[in-house]
Amino acid sequence: MSVNGCVTTVQLGSLSQADKSQLHLLPCEIEHDGPAEISRFFTPTVKEQKCEKTVSFRGRGLKGQEVSCPQGYTGLVLKEVQRPSSDQEDRIVKVSSVFQNFVYWNLETLPTSDDGVVKAMAWPSLAEMIHAPVD
Amino acid sequence: MDLGVFEADNSVSCRLASAVPEDCKNEDCCLGIDEAGRGPVLDSKTLSEAERENLFEKLDEAKSFVGWALQILSPNTISTSMLQRAKYNLNALSHDAAIGLVQFALDSGVQLKEVFVDTVGPAEKYEEKLSKRFSGIKVTVRPKADSLFPIVSAASICAKVARDRVVKDWKFAEDLGEVDTEYGSGYPNDPKTKSWMLKYLDPVFGYPQFVRFSWSTAQTLMDSKAVTEDGEKAAARQNNTSMLSYFGRNKPAGQTQTRETHRFFTERRLQTVDTL
Repeated sequence: MSVNGCVTTVQLGSLSQADKSQLHLLPCEIEHDGPAEISRFFTPTVKEQKCEKTVSFRGRGLKGQEVSCPQGYTGLVLKEVQRPSSDQEDRIVKVSSVFQNFVYWNLETLPTSDDGVVKAMAWPSLAEMIHAPVD
Repeated sequence: MDLGVFEADNSVSCRLASAVPEDCKNEDCCLGIDEAGRGPVLDSKTLSEAERENLFEKLDEAKSFVGWALQILSPNTISTSMLQRAKYNLNALSHDAAIGLVQFALDSGVQLKEVFVDTVGPAEKYEEKLSKRFSGIKVTVRPKADSLFPIVSAASICAKVARDRVVKDWKFAEDLGEVDTEYGSGYPNDPKTKSWMLKYLDPVFGYPQFVRFSWSTAQTLMDSKAVTEDGEKAAARQNNTSMLSYFGRNKPAGQTQTRETHRFFTERRLQTVDTL
């Protein structure tokens, strides 16, 4: 429940039809909401050596690494079914894609275990320990 | 001239060379350096592409006493170097390529006594830089050295022939299907170049790696026709904090919580989701 009292519902039925595309997290804000020609421009130019991936995006060198979702968790990309006309309305979202991992890209340097996104993946197991009963 | 090694991966730099003539290992010799490809494709008013190919064949016939080496800097290498955080400009790239080539000749056993270079940037400074780096070799750097010293004219032919062929046979790493090869001259106001640049501009990715992103024409077209991409926020993500946050502009609007989120969560950019 959100602060204004509205309920947001996730349509779990949409999970089976959800897309399973490879996700890429780029180190920049792209002011664009919509499709992108990833398979034409991006994927064919990615180079891979051991665990290290390299690519360039708009002339900038990126280095990337695959990051897995925490064990027992699934990543979801949600999409609003219908835009609400006011902030008082309940909202409905569907699962547009599911992912178990994504490629995390950094500018020029390889992602490290010090990067926020990489560290964030450890939270669920830490949370579990915190909330586990103390013997 | 076999460009196969470069064509196998045209996103990186590569060095190609002829065999070193025995004469060059046994007798004193000179080396000329010139570059091609900085300006538009059709930048040579003096010689046509066919004439250059002919002259290169003549050079090849003289292989008992003339050898050549090429350092190919791919457009992608140039873009990523020039646009990297610690800026590496085109002149510095060119100087380093030249230094690499002289060293390569020395390492190959060439009895190098004199080097002639077509300047990139101020000639005097460049000459001083090269002389310091290679003591014992007489270095001459001049503007328009390709029309002053025959050995630089020969270097210019090699560079331009390689450039012509690389452009003509460019294999796009991107999956673009049949690509229109009517690139035009490369001058921004050439109608062919203009229409190609518009045709292959992708709103998200900009251009294929064939285009140098550091080229102002490409930048201008992307600025006006492609979507915006913000690198400041990129830096913010990597350093966890943005400069802007110190001025209080990055605080999400409507944040009313009184208790501050622990650093553990902000560092990991974890947020409790209570609204969409």
